[in-house]
Amino acid sequence: MTERILHTGNDTVARAAISAGCKHYFAYPITPQSEIAHYMARELPKIGGCFLQSEGEYAAAYMLLGAALSGERVMTSTSSPGLALMQEPLSMMVTAEIPAVVVETQRLGPGTGTGGQQGQTDYRFVTRGVYGGLHYPVLAPYSVSEIFEFVQLAFHIADKYRILTMVLTDFVLGRMTEYLELKTFDFGPLPEKDWALKGKAHKGGRSNFLFTVTGMMLDITGFFQGQQEKSKRIIDSETRWETYKTEDADFLIVSYGYSARMSKGAVNTARAQGIKAGLFRPITLWPFPREALQQEALKAGKVLVVEDSPGELVEDVELAVQGRVPVHFLGIQARHIARAEGLILPERILQEVRELL
Amino acid sequence: MIEETAITKNLVCKTPAFRLLPLGFCAGCHYGIIFRLIDEVLEEMELKGITVCIGGGGCSAMGAMAMDVDAFGGPHGPGTAIASALKRVCPDNFIFAIQGDGEQGAIGLGSFVAAAVRGENITIITMNNACYGMTGGQLAPTTPLGMVTPTTPEGRDQEMAGFPFHGPELVAPLRGVAYAARGTVHTPANRQRSKKMVKTAFQKQLQRLGFAVVEFICACPTNWRLSPVDCARYIEEKMIPEFPLGEFKNVEKNEG
Amino acid sequence: MPKKGEIIIDERLCKGCALCVMFCSKKCISMGKIGPGGIPIAHFSDPEACTGCGVCGWMCPDMAIEVYEYVARRPL
Repeated sequence: MTERILHTGNDTVARAAISAGCKHYFAYPITPQSEIAHYMARELPKIGGCFLQSEGEYAAAYMLLGAALSGERVMTSTSSPGLALMQEPLSMMVTAEIPAVVVETQRLGPGTGTGGQQGQTDYRFVTRGVYGGLHYPVLAPYSVSEIFEFVQLAFHIADKYRILTMVLTDFVLGRMTEYLELKTFDFGPLPEKDWALKGKAHKGGRSNFLFTVTGMMLDITGFFQGQQEKSKRIIDSETRWETYKTEDADFLIVSYGYSARMSKGAVNTARAQGIKAGLFRPITLWPFPREALQQEALKAGKVLVVEDSPGELVEDVELAVQGRVPVHFLGIQARHIARAEGLILPERILQEVRELL
Repeated sequence: MIEETAITKNLVCKTPAFRLLPLGFCAGCHYGIIFRLIDEVLEEMELKGITVCIGGGGCSAMGAMAMDVDAFGGPHGPGTAIASALKRVCPDNFIFAIQGDGEQGAIGLGSFVAAAVRGENITIITMNNACYGMTGGQLAPTTPLGMVTPTTPEGRDQEMAGFPFHGPELVAPLRGVAYAARGTVHTPANRQRSKKMVKTAFQKQLQRLGFAVVEFICACPTNWRLSPVDCARYIEEKMIPEFPLGEFKNVEKNEG
Repeated sequence: MPKKGEIIIDERLCKGCALCVMFCSKKCISMGKIGPGGIPIAHFSDPEACTGCGVCGWMCPDMAIEVYEYVARRPL
């Protein structure tokens, strides 16, 4: 029987990274996920790893890049304002195909936000890739156990495709405590990291050069061609989603992360009252499960998108459904209280479902 | 009988084995001299096999790309942060970063000082050509007062642009810093002195004594609008008086 | 007088910056030649004066100059 422990989401991020063989972590404090850094500061030195607190998120992400040059598994984590400061280094990493994992614990609102409260207002920000036209995979867990699995999966995807991979959590997921089964995962074989920079003696005297200056490439169209083919491979084999009670559903809720947990509660209550509701939950926000969502939406005939934001996921749902089925949205206005601590609760979702029947 | 004297032909100076020639620098730019000098020191100290060079996001990227060592180039400013992390993860590798004066004194200043404060065991080579060379010679932290640039059309004055920035002197007092010096290559004698500074700086990393920075005053003929020969005089008359040469800190092994 | 030194200038690398002309104490180099790039490049114009000291080689920003020295040794 695998060991079961009570664990917070944030601690699970750190534990999962270490389980995936990540020994090096660089970060800057930011609510609501500094606990990840506290965990790493305690644990990494014990396993000969490197914990380094940087002078800001810009530097944390470049430290991530620097350490990743060695071919080691490395991670950083931050929240919305910090992720904004990381955009240049992340684009550099995607360009030079330097793999690493970034965990974003999104927090409510633009600007400083509310100092780290609940919210899902970063969906658009993290799913459109980096500046310059390149995407990176985004995994969206909705439980402590999924955090444990997806962080390790993120390291696998990063190494398999040599691409930056993100795990998106939020205030609720990071701070909540759940039972965690310490399973081990085997995601399959991985290519050698012959691109790593460990000194040319390491490679029989042949030196390597990684660079981010696409201007120096002789064939920039070829570069983008290669990146598009890589995206296609990721889309074809790494797109993930969950359907819950959608087989006979005539009403489809679409939601991710903590809102999907709330929506699942609403589906169960609705079913108990004879309403045939179902849930479609995107797990990879990029690549977005477009075709699968379209089929489920057409089958159900009516869609309600639930997201704790002014409306971002709903745009991708409308793109997938292409107007062939009505798409409704329940967002931040539906919170149970107006203050930052508010949440979209299952009862409110159920009320919306009943009104839309 | 005239004694037969054997004449042998020795190679005194050869073109080093670079990965990419010709170099991308402008004619007369001192970057080429400095990169060759660094290459010589790496060769003499037999470090090339374990070296990873972090190039900057300006002209220095072209040099990092050309040297025959493992190298990363491109981003503008964060060289010290990148080098810090790579050195911590691979302490047995020899890690140094090459950056411009803008990268050290402006966009990368936070990382530059933070790495010095942490006493990172890395070596920083800064190219002080008093302007942003690759982008057209704009005002840099090290632009001398009075120098005309596209962003100081009337010449640098302190009301708008403050005073020239001195990196090595700034970090020298920090306890994490083992070595801070400034040299130049505008004469053969200075080139040899600067080479010794680079060698000393590299030794600090091998002895794990902490952060080391060597700043080079170097010519930028294109943006200074001077011929390479006149640049040497500009360095003598304008640059050296503002940026004194020499060592500002040199922590010996036992000093600790 | 036996030759003391000799330099070989790689025409493809020389960008005509004339630093070697300035640094050569014996004035062996001049800018008298048009290179493959159509610009004036360094030319080993006075080989006799060259002592093979190597300064032009070390100071060339484009590493375009190889320097040799001729050493006369009496056989043992």
